[in-house]
Amino acid sequence: MTKRQMYMKMLLSSLLRRRSRMTVALLAIAIGATVLLGMTTICYDIPRQMGREFRSYGANMVFVAAGGETMLSLSDVDRAAALLPRESLVGVTPYRYKTVRSNMQPYTLVGTRFEQVRKTSPWWKVSGAWPTTGTEILIGSDVAEFARLSPGRTIAISGTNAKGARFSREMTILGVVRTGGVEDDFLFMDLTALEELAGDAGRVELAEVSVAMNAAGLSALSALIQREVPTIAPRLVKRVTQSETSVLSRLQALVYLVTLVVLVLTMICVATTMMTVVMERRKEIGLKKALGAENRSIVAEFLGEGVCLGLGGGLLGVAFGWLFAQTISVNVFGRAISFNIYLVPATLAASIIVTGAACLIPIRSATEVEPALVLRGE
Amino acid sequence: MFGRMLRGALTRQKGKLLMVAFAMALGVSLATAMLNVMMDVGDKVNQELRTYGANLTVVPRGASLVNELYDLEDERAEAGASIPQKYLAEDDLPKMKMIFWAFNIVDFAPFLEMRATSAGRAVTLVGTWFDKHLDLPTGESVDTGMKRLKSWWDIGGEWARDDGRDAMIGKNLADRLGLKVGDVFPADRQNLTVKAIFESGGPEDDQAFVPLHLVQELSNRPGAVERVDVSALTTPENDLARRAAQDPNSLSRREWDTWYCTAYISAIAYQIEEVVADSRAKPVLQVAESEGAILRKTQLLMLLLTVLSLACAALAISNLVTAGVMERSAEIGLLKAIGATGAAVSLLILTEIVLTSLAGGAVGYFVGLGFAQIIGWTVFGSAIATKGLVIPLVAILVLIVTLLGSLPAIRMLLSLRPTEVLHGR
Repeated sequence: MTKRQMYMKMLLSSLLRRRSRMTVALLAIAIGATVLLGMTTICYDIPRQMGREFRSYGANMVFVAAGGETMLSLSDVDRAAALLPRESLVGVTPYRYKTVRSNMQPYTLVGTRFEQVRKTSPWWKVSGAWPTTGTEILIGSDVAEFARLSPGRTIAISGTNAKGARFSREMTILGVVRTGGVEDDFLFMDLTALEELAGDAGRVELAEVSVAMNAAGLSALSALIQREVPTIAPRLVKRVTQSETSVLSRLQALVYLVTLVVLVLTMICVATTMMTVVMERRKEIGLKKALGAENRSIVAEFLGEGVCLGLGGGLLGVAFGWLFAQTISVNVFGRAISFNIYLVPATLAASIIVTGAACLIPIRSATEVEPALVLRGE
Repeated sequence: MFGRMLRGALTRQKGKLLMVAFAMALGVSLATAMLNVMMDVGDKVNQELRTYGANLTVVPRGASLVNELYDLEDERAEAGASIPQKYLAEDDLPKMKMIFWAFNIVDFAPFLEMRATSAGRAVTLVGTWFDKHLDLPTGESVDTGMKRLKSWWDIGGEWARDDGRDAMIGKNLADRLGLKVGDVFPADRQNLTVKAIFESGGPEDDQAFVPLHLVQELSNRPGAVERVDVSALTTPENDLARRAAQDPNSLSRREWDTWYCTAYISAIAYQIEEVVADSRAKPVLQVAESEGAILRKTQLLMLLLTVLSLACAALAISNLVTAGVMERSAEIGLLKAIGATGAAVSLLILTEIVLTSLAGGAVGYFVGLGFAQIIGWTVFGSAIATKGLVIPLVAILVLIVTLLGSLPAIRMLLSLRPTEVLHGR
């Protein structure tokens, strides 16, 4: 039997014979690794996940026409939108305003794309339904109250088109929108239908853009758009970007600190468990020394055990940690977590190092003892 | 005899018990810190979210539709003043700081707009409070206004004074008129001093902000206010609040009391309407709804993190307690050899462990309070409120963890054969 085979045999039997004790140690290491992997994954993913949540505040960038123009062309908006990274783009909503009259009262009619509005302005409360065809209309709650209108009734609107000719159309009210903002005073209809009435197409007053990105990324994008599409002046909606940055950075700092505290505590727990495991075996160490084992080979054996436990616990921890992070992400954000694969080797390395180091500390004092004294039980 | 043995064990087995106490202190400090932070995180994030600005606007009841677009304004003029303009009274505003939820109203600022000409060009003047000092009839005094409400504005220069002839000019307007800080800004009959050029990223960039009294004088509308923006700390909406927002009268007496005495945005709006004559307070859904969503997510995130890390800590600690008890097999063997019953031994061990854990837990509690404050100051720059509820929670946790940890160990100790243990096998 070679020396190496003997070493492997001792290692294996030491792990298998003391099953209950080793399970306890393995459990401690697995818990530590679970917390390490789970918490760092969440930490790493929080800006992305919370950033998406913050999009419920609506647009963080607005496209207006550059150079004193009042209207910008829709094809330019599309060109600019194509420059935005696809995976973080939430929505682009064009708005076109037109003054119309109904029963001699002037109203502002807004042409937009409803499927985009629902993405960029998720806080709109619509009682009734969203319009789908060109003859259906959504009215603001103040308009509804003022003109005593409700969903299901019709409203006749009239105005002048681009060529100066009068138009009028009977619209069905599908819903009443309430936002608490200026939208309460407006009428909304499909952009294409409004263009038909107005007699000119392809131009809007502004476009609201919602991109899941931090303030620095938005500034870079804004510069890019200005360079590539010079007819568009992108403006950052400051109150949204600024507070998003401040809240997100606070939240991330909070989770980092909590992770740090939890990590330090679990590491101490792992270390103390490993220490007790080693200290218990002073008698065994004494016997080995009496049989002629060198200090070096004893250290090597315990280190081998530590590395095995660390690896096993680390692997368990990776599996449970992923589960831990996934549970939190699905429950809180309703989305799967994005998993950073480099965290797996990092977690394994950390658990092996912590376990190995925790073994080495008590072993030093244990190998210094006189075999005779230990074996006599003193 | 029991007391003496307990004392003996506590004094002589210092090392081993100390480790159990240490483990418990670690776990409890974690639990205390996490629970305290978790319970306060809602308030803290709410404060942070206030940078989003006003979540309530107060407008006159039945006011004509506010029109953002100028050409509409002209059409109305030619259609004749069919809808008379209505206003709120400036004198009513301090009453908002005297409602039930006055403490939750962080800031508010009134607005009154007018069109003026400046060097031949049309400009929009907005009268407001910049940093107004109010003395309430209750004897308290409040400072409120734009300075706090619009914290995201980039100001080049300094804030205007409420009593002076100052103006703050939006960036786009300043570019158009070629104005710089310190210049004279002529508006109708007045010559104002430009105190600051600001950038807000919104429509305000095309307007000029001046003290409220100036606009009231210039447009001959003394004491009038068109709109008030209010920033209030609120509780996220639930079913009750949603029903109340539709119609407060549909609630039963008891529900109504609950609703009125909770800081729902609809309750605060209702109370503002009660004190400001002929007013309508509208929640700005963009801010109110999103705030609620983000607050709920943050709280849920912290709750889950707390529960999971507490479960981890509990497992790790019971592990240590098990290890601590198992080490004492020789002592237990001796006790059994001289005739101790299983029950007596278990009672002794349990009492020891529980006493030690409680001592460790007490130390851990105070260390945890320290941790919580460190987190509070580094992350939010303010202290975390200490909740009394944490103490019983932590005490229950300590007991469960201790019992859980010592039970398997005790079972093992009871099955020990005295002779084998004493022989050293």
